[in-house]
Amino acid sequence: MNIFQSVIAQAIANGISEETIVLLLLLPLVASIVAAARHLIGFRGFGILIPTLIAVTFVATGIITGISIFLVILVLATLSRRILRKLRLHYLPRMALFIWFITLGILGLMVIFSYLGVSQLGVVSIFPIVILILLAEEFIAVQIRKSLREAARLIMETIVIALAGYFIFSFHWLRELALTYPLLVILTPLILDIWLGRFTGLRLIEYRRFKKLLK
Amino acid sequence: MFSKSNQILGVNARSLDYLKPLNKRKGRRIANSKLLTKKYLTKAGLPTPGLLAVFKTPKKVEEFNWLSLPDNFVLKPVSGLGGEGIVIIKKKAKFAGEWYLMDDSIINTSDLKLRILDILAGRHSLHNLPDKAMIEERIKIAKVFRKYAFQGTPDIRVLVFNKVPVMAMLRLPTAQSKGKANLHQGAIGVGVDIATGVTTYGIHRDKFIKHIPGTKRKVNGLKLPHWNTILLLAAKSQEAVPWLGYLGVDIVFDKKHGPVILELNNQPGLEIQKANHSPLKGRLNRVVGLEVKDAEHGVKIGRTLFAERFADRVMADEGIKTIRIWETVRVRSADKKRVEVRAKVDTGAWRTSIDRDLARELGLLKPDNILWSKIYKSGLGIERREVIGLTFYLAGRKIETIASVAERANLRASMIIGRKDLSGFLVKPRR
Repeated sequence: MNIFQSVIAQAIANGISEETIVLLLLLPLVASIVAAARHLIGFRGFGILIPTLIAVTFVATGIITGISIFLVILVLATLSRRILRKLRLHYLPRMALFIWFITLGILGLMVIFSYLGVSQLGVVSIFPIVILILLAEEFIAVQIRKSLREAARLIMETIVIALAGYFIFSFHWLRELALTYPLLVILTPLILDIWLGRFTGLRLIEYRRFKKLLK
Repeated sequence: MFSKSNQILGVNARSLDYLKPLNKRKGRRIANSKLLTKKYLTKAGLPTPGLLAVFKTPKKVEEFNWLSLPDNFVLKPVSGLGGEGIVIIKKKAKFAGEWYLMDDSIINTSDLKLRILDILAGRHSLHNLPDKAMIEERIKIAKVFRKYAFQGTPDIRVLVFNKVPVMAMLRLPTAQSKGKANLHQGAIGVGVDIATGVTTYGIHRDKFIKHIPGTKRKVNGLKLPHWNTILLLAAKSQEAVPWLGYLGVDIVFDKKHGPVILELNNQPGLEIQKANHSPLKGRLNRVVGLEVKDAEHGVKIGRTLFAERFADRVMADEGIKTIRIWETVRVRSADKKRVEVRAKVDTGAWRTSIDRDLARELGLLKPDNILWSKIYKSGLGIERREVIGLTFYLAGRKIETIASVAERANLRASMIIGRKDLSGFLVKPRR
């Protein structure tokens, strides 16, 4: 335990940013939470990549800014899909057009914010914004493939999981814990993952789905 | 007390306990291709809808002679999911190269060609992989279903595990499902009693229903024709594709040809439990490990094990009957005669049991009536006990059940009736 801890301390002393180490140590835990949301609760979500990525971008941009950008992108994506539906276009050019719409929208938003003196958006690093813009492709794809209700549900579930991930990444005591007991924070998801991987009980939403059979 | 949630099959358990260990890659590949399914089923001598054409390349679409097709047919993607991309042609329209769809709108050859090219490009397949298209004979709806289904053809989903039909559901297309029989597209699911083929309870869009929405037609009480054949086809499908240990078989009922196997599903849904008001895991656990000789044997086991107890309804009709500890029952022998037997009602036993000599006398120990046998180790050494199908009449009620065979020659009662068969009865302990 102590060896692991001192290795981490040494790494920080050598110049690796503390933020990076903390995020890396907590990343497996967030991935486990995504898996738990699927198998214990029954969230379908988008796999591990997308919710985790959103959680990390939220950490980078701050929660309020992050969610506003996310919502703006979602609205723009849905609106532009309405517009482009009438044109018969190939899949990739159509997706590229969506990105065109959304990028312009975000640019406009930045300009407006800078005039209003809300400078928050301008100082945010470009990478989280680019990631959020590019993730729009997935959300549009799901809207195309599934019914609106289904897509809305999937996106809602993703936001909820991403928020859970965000809170794990930014809980003060969890971050402290990661630095003081790194081994614990690394081993917990290991055990959780194996347990989840063999879990054959009902998911939470299945208790509701089969309510009548449970009586 | 065991918790009821243990009896329900959820997504987690389905995947870990059944799909992963039992459904091999080869089986999944067969089920995911309607052409391969047809090939394997045909090889085993099982009926599938007639194949009229297969399109593998766009070139073949151009060359195809559309006038060679019969009056009505169905266009399908070979690897389509959930009934997507299927075009059902009702009949020829006035002009050559034009047809009516089921909703009486018109479709022409160039529309059909476009649809086929879409299919070939993978529009309806998993991950949009390139696909093939096929044209099959259209299944014509049987008369019994005509008033139950909207436009499309109802199908019967039979869940097969270890060659035993475990649960079944009738799926009725609705206006919402656009004539398709898939539940998540809005079709109605109706549970079916495995023993008799009589429908029980209905579900539609997550809701329990008693009538077909918008009508006064009850969903329960419909007897499906050729029920034994349907179950046999389902069990035989598993023999034909043994790489699928946990399998959904979709069977349609053609007006002319009778039951025909439409497709196999390697990941059958869980809603069937709701339509039957019955949890699956409990049923699967009763079948696991049984040595099932062949499809016929499997059907026999399924029909005796999973008979719906219509006790509740009987109770409502006749009230609760009172019986005594000693009752004279009439047991149906192999040659369908009713033989009087003095039986003891024993609420301490779960399963009914019958004396070996008596069972042999009645012809009930023939191999085709033995469901399975278990080896017991007792003080007398190793003993083999058969479990057989048994039908008897108690206080005027017909009871179809299973019974264990035991040496009861030295005991007063050559048959005891267990708790399992006593619902709807009240036992009077004294005279």
